[in-house]
Order: sequence, then C-alpha cells, then structure tokens
Amino acid sequence: MADRARITDLELEGALRALGPRYPYPSTPNLAVRVRTRLAAPPVRPLPRRAPWGDPRRLALVAALLLLLIGTAALAIPGTRDAIAHFFHVQGVIVNRVPSPAPSLTPPTSLNLGRLTTITEAQAAVRFTIAVPAKLGPPDAVYVASGPPGGEVALAYTPRPGIPLVRQTGLGVLITEFRGDLIPGFISKEVGPGATAEEVSVNGDPGWWIAGEPHTILIRVSPDSSQLETLRLAANTLVWARGGVTYRIESDLSKADAMRIASSLP
Amino acid sequence: MKGSNRSVEGRPLDDTALVERARNGDVNAYEALVQQYQELAFRVAFQVTGNAADAEDAAQEAFVNAYYALGRFRAGAPFRPWLLRIVANEARNRRTSAHRRTALMERALAAQSSGEAAPSPEVAAEADEFRATLIAALRRLRDDDRLVLAYRLFFDLSEAEMATALNCPRGTVKSRLSRALARLRSILPDEIRVPLSEGQRDG
Repeated sequence: MADRARITDLELEGALRALGPRYPYPSTPNLAVRVRTRLAAPPVRPLPRRAPWGDPRRLALVAALLLLLIGTAALAIPGTRDAIAHFFHVQGVIVNRVPSPAPSLTPPTSLNLGRLTTITEAQAAVRFTIAVPAKLGPPDAVYVASGPPGGEVALAYTPRPGIPLVRQTGLGVLITEFRGDLIPGFISKEVGPGATAEEVSVNGDPGWWIAGEPHTILIRVSPDSSQLETLRLAANTLVWARGGVTYRIESDLSKADAMRIASSLP
Repeated sequence: MKGSNRSVEGRPLDDTALVERARNGDVNAYEALVQQYQELAFRVAFQVTGNAADAEDAAQEAFVNAYYALGRFRAGAPFRPWLLRIVANEARNRRTSAHRRTALMERALAAQSSGEAAPSPEVAAEADEFRATLIAALRRLRDDDRLVLAYRLFFDLSEAEMATALNCPRGTVKSRLSRALARLRSILPDEIRVPLSEGQRDG
C-alpha cells in the first residue's frame, strides 16, 4: 500500500464527503429562542406580490419613485413629518424623533474620540477590520477608544477643497466605526423638526441619512447602563451597518458626496 | 449530518410558506425557520470562524439580520442559500478579529499540523489521523475555498444554491470548486494516502 500513487482529486472529494458527517463540530446552540427575543418589529413590508406590469424591475422603479414622491410630500407637511418615523435604528444606533429643536450646546472642548494613535495600533486594539474609504485615503488623525465592546475607531480628515469645515467638530469629515452588534444602544440621536432622516442603502446595506439642522448625539455611559450622556451636536450624518460593524460619516457634505465616500469603503 | 436538511421534496414549499408568513410579521413562523436552519447556519459559521463562540455570535446575528431583510427577499426564492450568504458574511466579519486574536495560536497549531478541532494526538488509528490531517489542511485554506468545499461536500448544496450562497455566477461554481480542491491538495503532505476505510472506492 505504501507505493500507492499520490491522492487524486476524486479520492480527495470522496474523503471530504466521508469527513462531512464526522466533522467534530461543537454542539449547536439553541438560537431560535434568542433570535426570537430580539425580533421587536416586523420586517420591512415587501412590495405587493401581483405586479400590474410584466417587468418587476420597472415595477420596482415605479414603486421607488412613488415612495420618493410620497416621502417628499409628507416631509413638506410639518405635522406629518414627525409621524413618519418617531424611532428607527441602525445596528448600535437608535434615532429618536423629538418635537423640539436641538438645544444649543456649547461647542465641545474635546470630541471624546479616544486616544490619538495610528491605523496599525488601532487595528490591534479593536475587534473588527478598520475600513478606510478609498475616496478619502489615509486619515489625518486616527483615534481609538476601548470603552465600547469590540472597541471604537475614529478617522478624522481636516477640511480641504471640496470638504468644508464642520463647526460642530472642527473637522472636515469624521468617520467612526464600532461593533454595533455588540452594544445595541451605544449611540442615540435626537433628531428635531429641522432635520430630515432618510432611509438609504450603502452598497446594499441598510442605513440612514440625517441632514439639516444639527442633531443631538447621546452616548451610553457603559454597556450595562441605561444612562445616556449628552455628547454634542452633530452635522449631516450617514450611518449604516455592514456585517457586525456600524459606520458613521459626519460632515457638511451633500448626501451624494457622503454616499460616494461610504461606497468607497473596502 | 444530523437534522437532515437534505430532503429536497417538500422543503422548499414549507420554507416558502414560512418565509411568507415571517415577511408579514409572524415571529412564530420565523422561529420555525431558525429551528430548521440553526444547525446548518452554526456549522457554516464554524467553518469560517473556527471557534464556537464567534460562530454562535455570527449565526445569531445572521438570523436577526435576515429577518429584517426579508422585505428585500425575492418571494419564492430558496431561503437556505440566501440565509447562508448572510451567515458567511457575519462569520467573515468575526473571523478577521478572531484571527488576529488567535493568530499566534493558529500558527502554532498549523506548525504541528493539527487543527483546533482535531482529535487528541493519542488517537492513533490511521483513519482518525487522516481525518485530522484533512481538517488541519482545511483550516489553513482561505475562507472562500473552505466554504466552497464545505457547501458542496459537507452540506450538499446544489450548484444553484452555491452560486447564491457564495454570491457568484453559477457558471463559476465548478471552477471554484476545483481550484479549492487543488489548493487543499497542495497543502496536504505529499505522502498522504486515503486509508482503505475512507472515501469512495469507485475507481
């Protein structure tokens, strides 16, 4: 038997098939119950099943346009705007609609972004892969915070042509990334009547675009505490979740520009 | 595999009905889907992460995310491969961090040609040793290669299901599979032979 020829692809396939049922997996946890307790709201309602037109893409386009029209119309009427979304969330971020405008907070002396560091050091300290948008290139400063589970990283870009200064941060663009899946209510945002919140999709991942009048950011003091600390006012913000990571881009850029930066994340 | 997900007859219809009810907010229907697929989801995640805690985390998150994404799910499409795509993404996200945490340990394990899930060294039977070597080699493959092999040879997915689960054109599934096999072969020691008790002896 020692002289048998080297293992063939067919033999290897057969061996893998035989291995399948014997693979030493850990025992499967009971996920059904845990998942169920986490399902608070019903899924986003699907489009009607019966299409009046043959081409579903055309139907989707028409539906999207209609939604856009309805959305725009509703936003134009002050009374209904708040009724649309009193509350919504992106993994790790809860956004609340509030009836009054944001209070005038004194400009922060510090953004509480954490410790100034380098990408390499930050990467070693967080439990996710730090994504730097190709569109902006290497950040001017990197901060890392170890408070939230999994860590949090902030990429700061100073103002430059095409990237206006944001009064609230003193920066051009601020990107924060953290494991939103590990701490569901890490950040809360209070969006007043002067701001709009719009559901968006970043490369297919769900998110929100909050723009207009600055909104208040509250941050949870610790993972186990329900106590929220008012952090500061925030400028236009795009927030979305991909996998277990929640991303947030704050700037005074237009939605289109913010989306371009977001889409350029690896 | 236990809890056989292999029976093709009947299953798609059941899934479709459950998915439809879940889309309308029926949490019981969704719980039934989770029951049905939790083992598969957990095992697929484990193939990627290589450790139970991250696999559990990834599978749970995937089920929650899949629920909220049901609105985007094409009615009547097969649920299983769509779910697995989400599971694999979640698992990959965790693998990157887990990998860093345990990089040293994994390197040490690879050096002694053993895997995290390998049986204890005193198990000396030829077949066991062969399986341990295979598992260790699999763990050294890239995630995508290991997933292709696992989907096809461990979990019996069809080519169409694999295309959905891997998010790739159906025409590339075969070539991905053979490339993954070739890479696995290149990792295996030259002198490895299939023990007589293993594999299919149809040659």
